[in-house]
Parts: sequence; structure tokens; C-alpha cells
Amino acid sequence: MEQTLFQKYGGFSKVSRIVLDLYNRLLDDDDIGPFFDDVDMARIVDHQTKFISSLLGGPASYTDEQISRMHHHLEIHTRHFDRLSEILAETLTDHGMTPQDVETVVQGFEQRRKLIVV
Amino acid sequence: MSIEAINEQLLRAIGVGVALLDLKEFKFRFHNDTFAEWFGEPDADARLTDFFSSLDPEALREALSDGGRFATETTFKVKRRTMTVAMDFNRALDGGERIAVLVCQNITRIKELESMIDSYSMMVERNTRELKREKEQVEKLLLNMMPRSVYEEYKTFGVVTPRLYDPVSVLTLDFCGFGDMVATLDPGVIVSELNDIYSAFDRIGEQFGCERIKTIGDAYITVSGMPDAAPDHAMSVANAAIRFLRYLKQRNGSHPVQWQCRIGISTGAVIGSVVGVQKYIYDVFGPAVTRALRIRGHAGPMSVAADGEIAQLVEAKFNRISMGPRELVGGTETEIFRMEAVADQPQTYGSQS
Repeated sequence: MEQTLFQKYGGFSKVSRIVLDLYNRLLDDDDIGPFFDDVDMARIVDHQTKFISSLLGGPASYTDEQISRMHHHLEIHTRHFDRLSEILAETLTDHGMTPQDVETVVQGFEQRRKLIVV
Repeated sequence: MSIEAINEQLLRAIGVGVALLDLKEFKFRFHNDTFAEWFGEPDADARLTDFFSSLDPEALREALSDGGRFATETTFKVKRRTMTVAMDFNRALDGGERIAVLVCQNITRIKELESMIDSYSMMVERNTRELKREKEQVEKLLLNMMPRSVYEEYKTFGVVTPRLYDPVSVLTLDFCGFGDMVATLDPGVIVSELNDIYSAFDRIGEQFGCERIKTIGDAYITVSGMPDAAPDHAMSVANAAIRFLRYLKQRNGSHPVQWQCRIGISTGAVIGSVVGVQKYIYDVFGPAVTRALRIRGHAGPMSVAADGEIAQLVEAKFNRISMGPRELVGGTETEIFRMEAVADQPQTYGSQS
């Protein structure tokens, strides 16, 4: 069986650090942060954990329908999506992921653009 | 710099929020920089409850009255980040005056990690449940293809050793005019009818201690005496055969599609093994199977045919009506019998005498 990026980069122990780092960067970002203004901390962390785990082929996966439903009430525009993509790539790079793997993850995220952007 | 001054500097700079409160009115006597940074600067008359409205001062006073401690948590937003601070009150004395020492520790990161572990655990648990369900489905599928003991062997060793089972009894069955039925009926109807009939045969066979081996189109093969030896293997297949006929007669009475079957039964040795590498099936073959198939060819519609050997084994409960000698294997002629139950109600497996 082919190894997922989740396994390649050390499973949850490593991914947990990426999740917390991404969480901090997103909350500090003035474009993306406001989306989390009224969201309970536990829910944001849960979302980020599943988000990163699913992008890396870990023990989470979302159907297109679920992704659409989770974001349909949010006014997410192209610039927000681009910014999140950027932050995601920076975070993964800073955690030692190879450029090729970062590209793979970002592409996976990109494929869901139409489900998220209004 | 005096020791007191150094202590105060340390206390001010430490990354833990510290405050001293008088126990009478819960007014602030001291607070350090970290406390002010988190909760704001208390003025001269500020009370604890001005900062933490949800705190019950009476409960706090009571907890501290006998020299105990009081612990609680508070959450607040800094910009959009939720901060969680653990608050620990301890009673102390300051020159006879009763005061409380409040120590606040930032446990935000711990809370975030707890949430993350919760989230991850739920994902893993859900996946484990799904894997278990899938494993059960695969197991169910394999148990439909092979006896349980064979499946256990396959699961443990990854291979199944071919085994000779002797003696066993074999029942083979097919349907008269099946080729015409396939040509005239809707494929969906055929499959649904066969599913229904084969499921009923499986239930009946199980009742009499038979292990269904396979179906190929309209051919159905079941065996008794394997994988576990059974002294009454012949009686088992004979009883199952009669019940199959009864079931079909009953079914034909209330179904538009009429099924007429022929059954051949025989006894002897078979080899049982998983055959195939990629697309494997569990199969039985050998003299008993070959004979049962040939005998079936001589059975009339809705009847059971047998050779002398198995007919003799079940003669206590089955009458045999000679159909004369027929060629079975290798040009030799063997007498074939039509079998009929003596009693209307054959006993079920396990209670046969």
C-alpha cells in the first residue's frame, strides 16, 4: 500500500504541530482570521485537525457535499481562498515538507475551491 | 537592590499572573504585569468580582476559610484567540491579616491540544468502527464461500491445505429446462428467483447438517460429513433432498415461475481445497461428487436419484424404487434408485436416530 503523506511525515505527533501552527497563523491573519471570530476554540481546532489530516491522507475525509455544507453560510471569496492556500503552503514548508509534497497538498486543496468560494 | 526588591521584580516579570487579595472585601493588594496584561489594570478600589463576574465570593471565602484552596478556570478572547486561564487561590497570612494569593496560569495551549486529541480520537474511533464493519463484511463473504474451519485456517496461515474427506455424502441438484427459462425470462427475475431458492436450500441444508459448497448457474452442490466428520452424513443429504423437493412444490403453488429440479445423491470420498490464486474459490471434487453428478443426470423431474451404496445407508427411512442399471462412470453399469421418504416428516439434524 502506498504511504500517505500523513504517514510519511510522522503521523499525528507531527501533524498536531502543523495543526496548531496553522491555527495560530490563521487566527493572526487579518483576511482569514475574522471567519473564526465567533467560532468556539474547540470547533476551530477540530476543524483544523480534520482539515490537515484529510489533506495529508490521514484518518479523516470529507465528501464534496460535506465541504459545501460546512462553508455555504460563509462569504469566502477568491482572495480568501488564495490567502489560505498561501498560509497553508508556508506552514507546511516551515515544518520541513518537500516542495513537491507541499504542491500535492495545495493541489488537493485547490480541487475543492469551487465548493468553498461563493 | 534588596532581596525584597529582586523578589518583587521577579514576581512582576514572571509569565504567571499573580495577585494578592484581602479576604475581607477581595480588594487587590498587589498584582504583577502578566495579570494586568491578561485582565487589565486594577485601580485602587477594584475588587476581584469586577474582573471575574462569574466568581461566587461566598463560595471562595468558604473554601479559603479553613486554610484550603479554591481552583477555577476562566476563558476570554484576546483579539479572536480564546484564552483559558487556570486560577488558583491559596490562603496566606500577612502580619496577622488574612489574604489570598491568586496564581493564574495560561492553559490555552493545553486546552487546544485537548481539543485536538479529542478530534483525532473521534476520527480514529470512527475509522476503527468502519474497518471492523468492513472486516465483518469480508468475513461474511468468505464464510459464504467456504466452511468456517477452512476460513479460520486461511485467515491464520494464508493458505488452505487440501484435505481428503472420507466418507461424506454429496447432493447435487439442477433445474429442468433451465436453458429455456434463461432464454425467455428477464435476467433479473432469474437471479432473484435463484437467490430466493438457494437461500431456502441453504437454510434447509444447514438444518440437516449439510455444508453448501457452491452453485454454478442452476447447479447446486451441498455436502454432509465435512469439514467435521458426521456418522449420519447419508441421512443428512437424503433428508435435505426430500425437503428441497417439498419446498419447491410448495413454492410452485404460489409463484408464477415454476421450478422443477432433479437431485442426485451419492457417498464416498471428496477432496476439499481452496482453488485458484487470485480468484480463488473453495471447491470439492472427487469420486463422490462425480458419481452424484452422473446419478443426477438419471433423475426424473422433482425426484431424488441415488446409487445402491447410499440407498442402503438410508434404508431405515427411505424407500428405494429401482430405475434399473445405468452407465455412470467409465462404461460400467450401476443400479440407480429413486428415493422416497417413508415418513412424511423426516427428523431434523441432530435428532436423527
